[in-house]
Amino acid sequence: MSELLNNDLNSTDLARENAALISPELADTVTLTSIDKAINMLSQIVSPIANLARSNSVWPLTFGTSCCAIEMMCVGMSAFDISRFGSEVFRATPRQADLIITAGTITRKMASALITLYEQLPEPKYVIAMGACTITGGMFNDSYSVVQGVDRIIPVDVYLPGCPPRPEAILDALLKLQQKIRTENYAKRRVQAYQQRPVCYVDYDCGRPLEDLLAMAMEDTSLALDQK
Amino acid sequence: MSQTDTNKPNETKEMELGKFGKFLKDNGIDSTRKDDSINVETIVISVKDLEPALRLLKTSSETKLNMLLTISGVDYTDRIDSIYHLWSYDHNDALVIKVELPKQSQANTDTVNLTSIANFWSAANWHERETYDLVGIRYLRHPYLRRILNPWDWEGHPLRRDYKQLVDALNDKNPHSFR
Ligand code: SF4
Repeated sequence: MSELLNNDLNSTDLARENAALISPELADTVTLTSIDKAINMLSQIVSPIANLARSNSVWPLTFGTSCCAIEMMCVGMSAFDISRFGSEVFRATPRQADLIITAGTITRKMASALITLYEQLPEPKYVIAMGACTITGGMFNDSYSVVQGVDRIIPVDVYLPGCPPRPEAILDALLKLQQKIRTENYAKRRVQAYQQRPVCYVDYDCGRPLEDLLAMAMEDTSLALDQK
Repeated sequence: MSQTDTNKPNETKEMELGKFGKFLKDNGIDSTRKDDSINVETIVISVKDLEPALRLLKTSSETKLNMLLTISGVDYTDRIDSIYHLWSYDHNDALVIKVELPKQSQANTDTVNLTSIANFWSAANWHERETYDLVGIRYLRHPYLRRILNPWDWEGHPLRRDYKQLVDALNDKNPHSFR
């Protein structure tokens, strides 16, 4: 018991012990507590079992922005049958999904929406960049409105080339992702995870954050009340 | 193209008026005929004649060009054309109308104005917004002239010839870009 308490106090020692947990670029922003250490110990036991369960139930988000989405639909149907690998449950909301298959070209106007969707996914979350368009911009590479690869705006786990990739290729990418999930350690992922940001709502008519607009409206009403 | 120009210079200059050109002339609207665009009669009319001509072609029982397929714009560096594609279901006829808008000056290219037709032809509403967005023709008296395809904070009009896009983090992957 006393040992545990000591550990609590010497959090710098703890940080040095667990330095391997933290990637170098995050080293000066992340500090580990004793809770993290406990989680680390536990996750060595729990992670392999939990990962096996999680990797066989990766629920994708229904996200298709162009032609690649047709192949994504195809892989959900009985000929290719993605449900053999536990991913048949395409969710219509990011709150219930684990994976975004970015099936299709991402334009600059869609980019902000995709970032919002990614931030709304609960951890742990994964991204498969499907098709040439989402890897480099594909054949629309030189267009004024196309984002040259989703890895410019969200982190990508598996790159899946092709224009469009065959449904078998999607299954292959999913199996690769499952392998990745099985080798994961919960504690490591938790430390390296991106900070979940609260979503910023923007009024698309005037392009200003709703918070600002609300503050302005409040100011206006208080002014009007004062004048009365 | 240049070969045909040298072979028959007169024909390209003074083309005979087509069916719709004659119809407009009978109603007091002058037009010049241009080369047909894929067997569809193509005419050029002046800015002030645009609204009366469109009203006439739309409502007259003789023409009944009562469907506006699209409005588009073309940048010819010294001028910008606003192009109207009309279609008649009743007569299975089509007509292309062009309005030529000279740019005021090469440097200040944002000053191409034209009166909107969305007030009496509601199909024009979104087409005019799109043309404004991509080519930058300002349709005056349009009820809601805002960008329709590009994000609200876009700078410039992408289909202009002199459009240059800044290279930023979203489009610097291609080293052989034409941009
Ligand atoms: S990669 Fe090809 S198939 Fe996929 S969205 Fe792009 S153009 Fe369409």
